Amino acid sequence: MIAVPIPVKRLFDWKVRGVRCVEIIGVVCVAALVFSVYIAKAAAARESSEISRIESEIRENRQRVRLLRAEATRLEQPARLEALSREIGLGPVDVRRQAVEAGLPAIAPPPAVAPSAPVTAPAAGETLH
Amino acid sequence: MDYRRPAPGRAQPRPQGPSVGGLFAAWGRWVANCVWWLEHSFERARADGRPEEDTRVRIFLILAVFSAVFACLALGAAHAALFAPRGGSGAGFNANALTRADLVDRNGQLLATNITHYGLYIDPREIWDPASAKAQLRRALPRVSAKRLDRVLGGERRLLVLNGLTPSERSAVHALALGGVSFEPEDRRVYPLGTSAAHLIGRADTGGEGVSGTELAFNQEIRAAGAAGEDFQLSIDLRVQGVVENELAAAAELAKAKGAVAVVADVQTGEILAMASWPTYDANRRNSAPSEALMNRVTSAHYEMGSVFKSFTVAAGIDTGRADMNTLFDASQALQIGRRRITDFHATNKVLTLEEVYLHSSNIGTSRLAVEMGGDVMRDYFRRLGLLDAAPIELKESAAPPKVRKWDDTTLASLSFGYGIMITPIQYVAAYGALVNGGRYVQPTLRKGGRPNAPTHQVVSPETSATMLDLMRRNVTRGSGRFADAPGLRVGGKTGSANKLVNGRYNPAVAVGSFAGVFPADGPVTAKRYTVFVLMDEPGTFPRTGGYVAAPAVGRIADRIAPFLGVQRKADRWSTALGEKIPEFQDVEGDGR
Repeated sequence: MIAVPIPVKRLFDWKVRGVRCVEIIGVVCVAALVFSVYIAKAAAARESSEISRIESEIRENRQRVRLLRAEATRLEQPARLEALSREIGLGPVDVRRQAVEAGLPAIAPPPAVAPSAPVTAPAAGETLH
Repeated sequence: MDYRRPAPGRAQPRPQGPSVGGLFAAWGRWVANCVWWLEHSFERARADGRPEEDTRVRIFLILAVFSAVFACLALGAAHAALFAPRGGSGAGFNANALTRADLVDRNGQLLATNITHYGLYIDPREIWDPASAKAQLRRALPRVSAKRLDRVLGGERRLLVLNGLTPSERSAVHALALGGVSFEPEDRRVYPLGTSAAHLIGRADTGGEGVSGTELAFNQEIRAAGAAGEDFQLSIDLRVQGVVENELAAAAELAKAKGAVAVVADVQTGEILAMASWPTYDANRRNSAPSEALMNRVTSAHYEMGSVFKSFTVAAGIDTGRADMNTLFDASQALQIGRRRITDFHATNKVLTLEEVYLHSSNIGTSRLAVEMGGDVMRDYFRRLGLLDAAPIELKESAAPPKVRKWDDTTLASLSFGYGIMITPIQYVAAYGALVNGGRYVQPTLRKGGRPNAPTHQVVSPETSATMLDLMRRNVTRGSGRFADAPGLRVGGKTGSANKLVNGRYNPAVAVGSFAGVFPADGPVTAKRYTVFVLMDEPGTFPRTGGYVAAPAVGRIADRIAPFLGVQRKADRWSTALGEKIPEFQDVEGDGR
């Protein structure tokens, strides 16, 4: 026989209504473990289904973004834009009507200094795309 | 039967060592012994008189084995739970991954993309009323073929009706709420720009492999970028590309040309900012395009360019020291080489300086220069300018030029003014860039930022390059390229006109007119500078020369793209920032107008 230390032997001999207390404690521990694992698994499943839902939403949105981007590009085809702007009478801005920011005071001096200056300063900088 | 047994009477070779069969037999015997020992251990124990101890040993053994196995499992589970890669979708998965990356221009504007299309499948067993289903489907989806629809509806199994439904078509069919109709997603390459840059972008097949253009040239990199979920950037600037295409189309229609080519390039980095070939086609309806529209004339068409080649001859002459601005060339009468007589298109019949040779585009002058330099020198310059090999651009369409076989005097004379050698426009653009960027030959590229550490080589000296820039600017202010000038942009360039060889004869009614421009032509040779090259193939209007059919387009292109490229309008010694001419010998305040 293997020699068992006294306290261990007493622990095993401690019984309630003929059932070893060690066993009862063990069963309770196992039950608690099982329950907690179940809770954790259920929470994880919920989380992962949420994640996959959001992921699919992102995917869908990305698809739509791509689609809209392609659509915008289609509408902005250079040939199409130019044809449309020529149709309504737009054209490249004449060089005499272009100016840089630094040259603005020369084109339209502040009214207080020179009241006779032309009021309409030509819009500048941009040419037709 | 063993047919390979040795002939009778011959000694059979003995196998060396234990054979494989022998080893197996020994191992089998050992296993059998073990089993036998285990089977009879109870009997042995009983015979030894210790039955209970033996059972305990067995129980302990089994317990130990099970404990070990479960311990391993527990460790494995703990490891998996604690150290598994996060993200939940497995390692190496990228949510943005695509088979092919989006192609974008240098500013991020879309050129080509992947859109999920849908295949329409119908299961006839789930269709309640085939006749009404057919009518509804045809209303919602007019392009579906009636025959195919009939076959599927009359069939037994779920079958594909139509491929490549756009998302809007899919939602139209989906809205019918028909039973038995289902969709399967499929990735499709779409080119939302349609006709713009169609040659340049090329196309990819349904399997996601590039077939032509940049889709083929950068196939691997586009796929790699797609796997990483990134865009792939080209050197193209879509704004410049748009201007170039529109102006080219307008000029080609005005000149009633058969075809036309335009290229805008950065001379310092070799980046192509725009590349247009006219006529063009809709990249999404490639099959219905006429075959002559499909060719990228920039990289695949060969032309005898004519006088634009005089830039190369003159540059070589200056670079070798054989000519400078004051060298005189006798163009008072035609040059006789053997039985051939070389004359000038705009005959001046006098002695010309090098500048006048260039400005009047004198064939006699450049021929004299080329013959003086000799075949070896000319061939060396032409080779270093890349005129004898296919242009080293990434596009696989880049075609090698026909070989120049002879380098005798009469050929040299022809070469000096751009006859007797056929090259592609992109070869010309690359070579021309070397004349105006300080003399370095930079490989043309479609990669944003230029080719990483690509080799460049010196063709002409920086001084020659500066002289050429000056000559080109003079040519635009006072010579044949007047129509290419754009106010304040200091455009320089050279016109070119050549007759085409038709049935073995140069036919003056079938011509090529071109203009190679550069702007701004002033400033140090290493400054930011752009080339604009326009070529009209077989213009139908008169005059057919480059100065009339191509130069105006170059001027308009330069005028419109300068703001995008950040080129400021400035005055130089020839004209003001607003494009008014400054008289040659002006007064102090320039009041001589």
